Amino acid sequence: MININLIFPEIFISLSIMFLLIFGVYKKNSSKLVYSLSIISLLIVLALCFNLRTVTEVYLFNESYQIGYLSTFMKILVILSGVFVMSVSLKYLKINNILKIEFPILILSSILGMIVMISSNDLIVFYMGLELQSLSLYVLASFNKDNILSSESGLKYFILSALSSGLLLYGCSLIYGFSGSTNFIQISENIDINQYSLTFGIVFILVGLAFKISAVPFHMWAPDVYQGSPTPVTLFFAILPKVAALTVLIKILYVPFLNLIEQWQMIVIFLSIASMIFGAVAAIGQKNLKRLIAYSSISHMGYTIAGLSTGTNEGIQSSIIYISIYVVMNLGFFCCLLMLKRDGKYYETVEDMSGLSKNHPMLSFSLLLILFSLAGIPPLAGFFAKFYVFMAVIKSEMYFLAITGLLSTVIAAFYYLRIIKIIYFDPEKEKFDTHHNIALKVSLFITTIFILFYFIFPSKLIQIVSKINVI
Amino acid sequence: MIAHSIFFFAFAFIAIISAIMVTVSKNTVHSVFFLILDFISISCLFIMMGAEFLGMIMLIVYVGAVAVLFLFVVMMLNVAKQSNEWFKSSSRSSHIPIGLLVSIIIFFELIIVIGGWKYKPELVNNSINSVSSEITNTHSIGYVLYTDYIHLFQLSGMILLVAMIGAIVLTFRKRSGIKRQSYFKQISRERSEGIELVDVKKNKGVDIDV
Repeated sequence: MININLIFPEIFISLSIMFLLIFGVYKKNSSKLVYSLSIISLLIVLALCFNLRTVTEVYLFNESYQIGYLSTFMKILVILSGVFVMSVSLKYLKINNILKIEFPILILSSILGMIVMISSNDLIVFYMGLELQSLSLYVLASFNKDNILSSESGLKYFILSALSSGLLLYGCSLIYGFSGSTNFIQISENIDINQYSLTFGIVFILVGLAFKISAVPFHMWAPDVYQGSPTPVTLFFAILPKVAALTVLIKILYVPFLNLIEQWQMIVIFLSIASMIFGAVAAIGQKNLKRLIAYSSISHMGYTIAGLSTGTNEGIQSSIIYISIYVVMNLGFFCCLLMLKRDGKYYETVEDMSGLSKNHPMLSFSLLLILFSLAGIPPLAGFFAKFYVFMAVIKSEMYFLAITGLLSTVIAAFYYLRIIKIIYFDPEKEKFDTHHNIALKVSLFITTIFILFYFIFPSKLIQIVSKINVI
Repeated sequence: MIAHSIFFFAFAFIAIISAIMVTVSKNTVHSVFFLILDFISISCLFIMMGAEFLGMIMLIVYVGAVAVLFLFVVMMLNVAKQSNEWFKSSSRSSHIPIGLLVSIIIFFELIIVIGGWKYKPELVNNSINSVSSEITNTHSIGYVLYTDYIHLFQLSGMILLVAMIGAIVLTFRKRSGIKRQSYFKQISRERSEGIELVDVKKNKGVDIDV
């Protein structure tokens, strides 16, 4: 008998999707109500997930679905950031006239896909979750359909993502063919270490996942899609799919293919180094802030998978801490971006921020902290994230990876500091609107406080994450 | 047994003839009709082999959806009258060599498949043994689909729902200035809304605002 209470979060979120859809269709002009109801249902799902925090490791549905520390932690991270994304973006949607009932429903279904992905212990379940989340993301990217950039980004993401899904499925079929099972645990029992044909399957799956977390050389879609989509959707893109894809990456590399570590380690190291350097160098010339954050997220993903390439538990834990802090930093940055509004129009280029400190000292100060943290300057949270990853990498004696990472941090610091220089030392422009809704202010406050005071209680996060033992 | 083979040959003959007619017929609408006939005869063949689920799916998906879609496209694009110039025209067509190449490749692939089946029979035997003859295909698919794979089944339902929502979001536009007929409004109209008593003055006339 399956313990049905272990999948209450999934069941509740799918029921609320269907209920909200019917509710929104039958009640006219209810988009705002549906929006707040879906935030409430996400909070309930969060509580249901939080309820499972003590479950160590349980398998459901013929071992194709796994609930454990890793999946529960990642689910809570995904849902919590989903709540924040939805609560900060209401104003933007209203002003740009794209507040429809479908928006929160698509976000909910995408989150459903992500939590299925996170819990998957089987190639088929993983693929279904991936398709559910990316299908919703295609629509969300082109949600502002009257804007030509938004439509372009949706189409671009759709075509490239379909291509990468095809490659990923091909890899899955190869692995199924050579191991005789789609279940992660059975694959690890059945594989023959000397069989090099399995490497092809791993490579194809890695391509598909690297596309989802936009690691170089599969990053081409990220800047255009980030720039074109509406800002809340960009925020969504920058955070949630990466958390989900990273979890699957951890599971796929460490559950079925741990014995093949010599074969995939070099690939992951290459992905990591290429992403770190490319993300740092290519962001220098960017003028649009959303494009810039796309390149910045590429380089951050490089650091995240640097931890994965070690093949140790410390490496995985450092990656998980890195992605958690990355989520908080990006959330704070986008909160600031959503505050740059004047006369019902949002501004998103670097020049628009010039002299921001004279008119908006508080906003500029939190932006300063967030940017310093993104650059990795102590004692802010971003420094600790990089510190843990480099510690894990150096412990595994991969000095080249650590040195490259440090050097690209220095390069990346340039463009973060350039924005700070523009904010604090350039001639001022017109004032932006000062009244924002309370959710935006609270989110910015929480993220800034987290970034600033992380160094006082660093052990809290480490304690939670240290329970996660994949190997 | 004889009746079985008579039916088999009848369906197979119709399938092959209609497949040929799809390519040769000059009217595109006729081609689509022959395509439908071809699908139906092939699904009959499937049902005769005992694969009734596959046959029915073939009917529903190919005949019910794909072929009808083809028919609509052909009728809407008005290409029905376009004559088939591959065989008639004197100038050399580039389609024939490529078509021949593809069909030769398909022919060799079929030879390989049938040869493997002939000379390595244990491959086929294995696959036959695993299917129980006591319960039908539909039953055995249902047994795994609603038990072991129930979560995947439900999840694919969610994926289809999202696809539908997405199609509606991206294509639906509220247009203004359209006059729609509303029965409810028409029926619930009162006399006082439609008729107005006007006191007409001499040599003034009535202002009519419609």
